[in-house]
Amino acid sequence: MTPCAVTTGFFTLGKCGQMAVAGCPSCGRALCADHVTDGGLCPECAAAASRFGHPAAVAAHRRRAYRQRTAGEYQDAVWYTSFDSYDRAAFDPGAAASPDYLDDGDDALVDS
Amino acid sequence: MFWRKQKAAIAGFPPLHQALIFERAISATQPADAWTALAASLGRHGELVRRPKWALPYRTLDVLVPLLLEVCSDLGHDGRLSVAADLRGPKAPGKTHPPRDLPVRPPVRAATETWTVDPWLRLRAELRDGSVLEVLVVDRERTRRITKRNPRGKTKIKRKSKQAQIIRVRRRLPKDGMSVRPAVPPPRWIAVTVRDGERRSVLAAAKLDRPPRSAQEQVDRILTVATEPFRWTPQTSSGGVR
Repeated sequence: MTPCAVTTGFFTLGKCGQMAVAGCPSCGRALCADHVTDGGLCPECAAAASRFGHPAAVAAHRRRAYRQRTAGEYQDAVWYTSFDSYDRAAFDPGAAASPDYLDDGDDALVDS
Repeated sequence: MFWRKQKAAIAGFPPLHQALIFERAISATQPADAWTALAASLGRHGELVRRPKWALPYRTLDVLVPLLLEVCSDLGHDGRLSVAADLRGPKAPGKTHPPRDLPVRPPVRAATETWTVDPWLRLRAELRDGSVLEVLVVDRERTRRITKRNPRGKTKIKRKSKQAQIIRVRRRLPKDGMSVRPAVPPPRWIAVTVRDGERRSVLAAAKLDRPPRSAQEQVDRILTVATEPFRWTPQTSSGGVR
């Protein structure tokens, strides 16, 4: 199975990992059915081409614009480029950290 | 019957969408799909409802929706996002404290100080890496009212107000989650605290003396503070937290 190579997430980046059904005609990356946007492009290429008919393309455009605007806040050149096996492991069942959401403690900002 | 079509459109909206229209506030815990559906419904509001009385509160489409969509993209399969958004504005009942008298000396005859605290956004998200992200945004305004009397008996009243916005973010790591100090410090306006315990927490806080002037700047500020705790976990080891 060829996994979808579209990057998802904002804080915890990861590959989509669903079964790919097509390839982006512009960059060639594998795409699942959910990430095929207008013209068969991947969300990143669709955002670069100003085709915003698909929510994923809108999200890609919004994230790219945000990262461009706020890049000056940090001098951390590798922050957004780092991408490790753990990021991808979040999409492998059982490979990511245990989702233990209980017990927020006394100093929680939000009542859960 | 007036506004018949628009009333029918509102009746077809999700309950949280209707709550934003009529109560200007929502509080709910849902999975990502439900929040995405709400965002899509809010996006259609402008073309279906045009009556100003039923307009969405400010900060809904340009601040709340982008934040929801970004946080939803990080939720786990079973993860839920809790949102408590109070968009009634700082003048809503219960947000202004009683005025407090300040000590004065002539020619000032009276001085009072009033605080308005508006915690307009609370988020709690169960992320796919096992951590829990909490975001709190509070608008704060101090108003001082001073009464002066000059030697000719003329009384003047002066008011001054000072606004600030506080953004606090806490990322509660999974059990045994490690944190490391990043090589590059955060911006000077963000303070970070690491709190140990059974589950380590990384807190980032910012106090903005000048409130954001645009919705885009508001979203950027919140996301920048919310991003900071994610720099404090290992990024290279395969068994790391992030």
